[in-house]
Amino acid sequence: MNRIASRRGRVLGLALAGVSFLSVAAASAGEISVWVWDKAFNGDTMREAGAIYSADHPDVTFNVDDTASQDDIRAKLQTQLLAGSTEGLPDIVLIQDDVAQKYLQSFPGAFEPLSDSIDMSLFAQYKVAAATLDGKSYSVPFDSGVTGLFYRSDYLQEAGFTADDLKDITWDRLIEIGTEVKAKIGKPLLDLDLNDTGVIRMMMQSAGEWYFNADGSLHITDNAALKKALETYAKFYQNDLVKPVSGWAEYTGAFTSGEVAVVPVGVWITATIKANADQSGKWGVAPIPRLDMEGAVNASNQGGSSWFVLSSSDNKEETIDFLKTVWAGNDDFYQDILIKRGAVGSLLSARNGEAFKASDEFFGGAPVWQDFSTWLSQVPSVDYGTFTAEVDAAVQAQLPSIIEGGDIDAALQAISDQAQQQMQ
Amino acid sequence: MTFAMIRRGLVYILLSLAAFVSIFPFYWMVVGATNTSAEIIKGKSSLGDALWLNATAFFTQVDAVRIFWNSGVIAVVATVLTLAVSSLAGYGFEMFRSRIRERLFGFLLLLLSIPFAAMMVPLFVMFSQAKLVNTFTAVILPTVASIFIIFYFRQATKAFPRELRDAAKIDGLKEWQIFLYVYLPVMRSTYAAATIIVFMANWNNYLWPLVVLQTAENKTITLILSGLTAAYTPDYGMILFGTVLATLPTLFIFFLLQRRFVEGMLGAVK
Repeated sequence: MNRIASRRGRVLGLALAGVSFLSVAAASAGEISVWVWDKAFNGDTMREAGAIYSADHPDVTFNVDDTASQDDIRAKLQTQLLAGSTEGLPDIVLIQDDVAQKYLQSFPGAFEPLSDSIDMSLFAQYKVAAATLDGKSYSVPFDSGVTGLFYRSDYLQEAGFTADDLKDITWDRLIEIGTEVKAKIGKPLLDLDLNDTGVIRMMMQSAGEWYFNADGSLHITDNAALKKALETYAKFYQNDLVKPVSGWAEYTGAFTSGEVAVVPVGVWITATIKANADQSGKWGVAPIPRLDMEGAVNASNQGGSSWFVLSSSDNKEETIDFLKTVWAGNDDFYQDILIKRGAVGSLLSARNGEAFKASDEFFGGAPVWQDFSTWLSQVPSVDYGTFTAEVDAAVQAQLPSIIEGGDIDAALQAISDQAQQQMQ
Repeated sequence: MTFAMIRRGLVYILLSLAAFVSIFPFYWMVVGATNTSAEIIKGKSSLGDALWLNATAFFTQVDAVRIFWNSGVIAVVATVLTLAVSSLAGYGFEMFRSRIRERLFGFLLLLLSIPFAAMMVPLFVMFSQAKLVNTFTAVILPTVASIFIIFYFRQATKAFPRELRDAAKIDGLKEWQIFLYVYLPVMRSTYAAATIIVFMANWNNYLWPLVVLQTAENKTITLILSGLTAAYTPDYGMILFGTVLATLPTLFIFFLLQRRFVEGMLGAVK
């Protein structure tokens, strides 16, 4: 019995020793902490920006935490702001543009307005608009999700099309081209995931529309752009131009392994496409097609995120000065992250730099970055509102019936009803 | 062919199917850890030669020693404390009669139905006021009084021979001595099973550690794995390698206690 008792004593001792190890790591003064979600992309980019600033300001150091996913960051931020506890929150947090309004409106006072200290006219206006509330802008725009139509130039050439045939066309024209390509070389036009509304959203934004009216109410049943987008989406399927995929891995797998002819997507996909060096010279980028309606342009956006400063930051002054000096003022830095990370920033003046003018052999020697930054300045601003995710879910629920040729007006009504319910 | 044989054949087919369904994800994980991301996406389901590559990538990107230490300390301390507190409670609920006992126990069971997400924000406020945010204590404390484990021990205690307690009392043992020297050894099998359940729950715990642990050096392996999957171009081979590593401790505990489990059963019969 003594033996048992001593063993138990040891276990208890160990347990107590474990508890006493528990430590609190406090952020030291002069350290700017940042939450990002992708090590290679926004993590390394931010680290590089930090290094540039630290070189001139040796007393300021950076702590970039890239260990959480975007969903994780949202869960943490939301819980803490709801709990009203700012302890341990970073100085800067990266937030995707289409949820920015949700945070700004749900947690007034949690984020620091930046438009007083940083000139927002330096950035692409649609990015600034996404984080503007009551006349104040709360973010320094980071990567742009400006869209392009990536295409396999070898496939299109084989089917008898040139790069010019894809310039500034409508989606309907793309469907005609896709039908011919399919007939001649047997490849489907594009791959689509029914659980992803990305293409529909970029079509809608190219016409300057979104799911909401200016007052935040739903803009669905009378949304001509959304209706047209859904019709176009259905046409892809009805003309048998789609390779259906499920999930991100399959989605990227289909076009990186040459199974489809085109990919309409945000510029951030470039790194994924270029990772396949054996396909060099076989790709091109055209402007995104537009909807065949008044006000629609050949430029849109998909994704993209911005830097937000938390009001609870202990280093507000340094943090804002850092964002102003590097992110809103250093064109060379933008050249660097474009070359190293494939990150297309939103600072308009950066496009005059060398890296943006360079041509890319992978895309047949075209000046793709220059093209992207031209389209960047043309992206229509829309108000992403606070319930984009809810409406997205409602749209997804209707897609299966839409591609089967279901009535679009009925689908719009159903989307509106479901979204309305979710928003209450 | 007799009816019995057909029935047996059907049972085997069904069981094989069930075995396949439960083993396949595990197989996929192990095989994936030896393939490159590109091979995984293409659906390659045979062993590859990228194990070393994935391991290097994982250990370069993740401070593995630190992260596994964090997970380990949290899971072990939480398991020890949970077993201590919750088994005492289960013992108490069964051994001592009181007028409000059943009502109190019913109330506890009712609490089981409150989803954790509903308690998260108030819990965070509490820990933030106690200045415990971003500590292991904050991760461990809310799990220690586990209603499920209390319930589990109370049920098991119903089978504990009361004569043993009476005999011990006559021998002059105090209540805490009865618990430590009589109850605990007899209930070894229950403790072993509870250890597996509690260790697994704590090792895999996600939502609360996610919210309450803030700095990278305090995070657990579950949080780190979740972060890795969210990159724009996820390295699936590396992630699956990490997943295999993260599964090992639970497997180890399981196999270790599976043996004890049987031993404990034999001990109880003696």
